[in-house]
Amino acid sequence: MKILIADDSRVMRQIVVRTLRQAGFGDHDLIEAANGREAFDMTKAENPDLVLSDWNMPEMTGIEVLRQLRAAGNAVKFGFVTSESTPEMKDQAEAAGALFFIVKPFSAERFDEVFAPILG
Amino acid sequence: MSVEVEVNEDDLAEMVDQVWESYLDPEGINPFIPTYDENQPSEVHSSVSISGSWTGHLVYACSTLAARRAAAAFLAMEPDEVSEDDLSDVLGELANIVGGNVKAMLPPGALLSLPQVALAPESTARYPNTERIGGVYGVWEGEPVSISMWQSRAVKNEEESK
Repeated sequence: MKILIADDSRVMRQIVVRTLRQAGFGDHDLIEAANGREAFDMTKAENPDLVLSDWNMPEMTGIEVLRQLRAAGNAVKFGFVTSESTPEMKDQAEAAGALFFIVKPFSAERFDEVFAPILG
Repeated sequence: MSVEVEVNEDDLAEMVDQVWESYLDPEGINPFIPTYDENQPSEVHSSVSISGSWTGHLVYACSTLAARRAAAAFLAMEPDEVSEDDLSDVLGELANIVGGNVKAMLPPGALLSLPQVALAPESTARYPNTERIGGVYGVWEGEPVSISMWQSRAVKNEEESK
């Protein structure tokens, strides 16, 4: 499977990659986007199976990426990994079609719990 | 709209514990030790601003060595391998993580900015019309680290006039 990790922080992308490995998902093809626009473009160009996206990013926010993908007819599995988590954000994410909402700081156990059903 | 601050120093301390447990001290060997010294020096800092239901700034400040060690812990490398970009990125992410958790405790309608990083002491920062309303101050492996909240005075005055 191909997984796209979208976060404007290079450090956080590395931590997400490391945590995916720790949780046993390191064998998947991991690609990275450094802002929302890049995440949108790479999702269309690279056709990943899953997108893990930050919420607050330059160019486009994560929720804008998800909404525009859905508006363009793209049904990629999509979820958020973000330091922000409010009930209204979770509602917006769910309404836009997000599968999960992981809050930073996160653990490998949390990744396993969320991704095991998705990635197998 | 203005609200009373719903995030207190105990909440900040809990967020700090989570960050240490998740990233900076997963083995539980080098915990953050509170000193309660709000005047401790810093050499670098990062901040995020929050606006809306609460308006102000969340500031992460520390020594350069503490920032270097944090970056090393985040990136799983040795402190002397950490570049200035690594250091800035990690400082920004630390403010972003704590700021995001603070925002989650505020009433709906708060917006979080992208992080700002300055490789200069917190004392060089100027947040107009704000005052520091609380923080967590301590040392990590002997180096100063603090997380503080600065509230817009305009909002506070509005509350007081109610």
